[in-house]
Amino acid sequence: MKDTNLTGTLRTEDFGSAGSRRVLAAGRIPAVIYGKKESVHITLDAKDFQNKMRYFSESTLLTIKVGRKSHSVLMKDYQENVMRGQIQHIDFFEVTKGETLRTRVPVVLHGNPDGAKFGGVLEQVTHDVEVECVPSALPEHFTVDVTKLGLNESVLVGQLVLPEGVKVLTHADVTIANVKGVKEVVSAPETEEAEVATVGADSAAE
Amino acid sequence: MLSPKRVKYRKKQRGTRDGVAHRGNYLAFGEFGLIAVEPKWITNRQIEAARIAMTRHIKRGGKVWIRIFPDMPFTKKPAETRQGNGKGSPEGWVAVVKTGAVMFEMGGVQEDLAREALQLAASKLPIKTKFIMRREVE
Repeated sequence: MKDTNLTGTLRTEDFGSAGSRRVLAAGRIPAVIYGKKESVHITLDAKDFQNKMRYFSESTLLTIKVGRKSHSVLMKDYQENVMRGQIQHIDFFEVTKGETLRTRVPVVLHGNPDGAKFGGVLEQVTHDVEVECVPSALPEHFTVDVTKLGLNESVLVGQLVLPEGVKVLTHADVTIANVKGVKEVVSAPETEEAEVATVGADSAAE
Repeated sequence: MLSPKRVKYRKKQRGTRDGVAHRGNYLAFGEFGLIAVEPKWITNRQIEAARIAMTRHIKRGGKVWIRIFPDMPFTKKPAETRQGNGKGSPEGWVAVVKTGAVMFEMGGVQEDLAREALQLAASKLPIKTKFIMRREVE
């Protein structure tokens, strides 16, 4: 179930790296909402956020309730400790109704390409595109149907089906996905690489 | 096997592997990857062994990216040599891998096949590793 409502607590003290560590240890995530006039520092419940995060991307409009105030935001960036799987900080970007914004929208591929039957491999080159639109028109993701993609064929950004009011800023010639034939990878014969690699200034030193 | 085509100096100082990888610590090409959980020198032979294990397992489907390159020469003194008389001669090439570095990436295959293939690759490496995948919105 998609839930884009978050509840934050205002963070007025205990800043800095040591303070952030204490916040994380308490089961909360430090975050900041970059507003048009001022920035608001908040903390979010870590467990709740990580559960809900599975359902939203960088282009999902979220509502964060801090005290009595409600902020309409986009998740701009987040820092993660990959080793622990722990989110350490989140940057939110406040959006204003009716005002155009720029953000990145993920591209999702759908289907099995025809070229795969002939030994091709589908490769997604671009995972997201930059768009400009008003918040209400912001798509969560673009779906690209790749079922008709043959061998050595590609889908370009210019071929994306755009909803009304959305302008893509990424160049139209950028490849989103392609189907390429796989070459047999043959391991290079072992050479005396040490000799080859020592063509240098100090090779004559010894 | 991977090695530089030419280098400016034959021998390098060993350096340090402290801290975590601040570059090459994210998935840049594929959907799945193998990250290092501990720092170590990875030799070009180990990289090659891992690559062969992976590509054989996924057969003709999918694509593999190697994100580390053995550009660091390591030296050895001959056996039964007294100390002194300078640094030993270059013996091979290693990649300096820090904690959190994405070593291999894979794309164009199903998740379970990628997991199996990267597990085989991990068994060829002298370090603990972790399987990672691109965050997908459900």
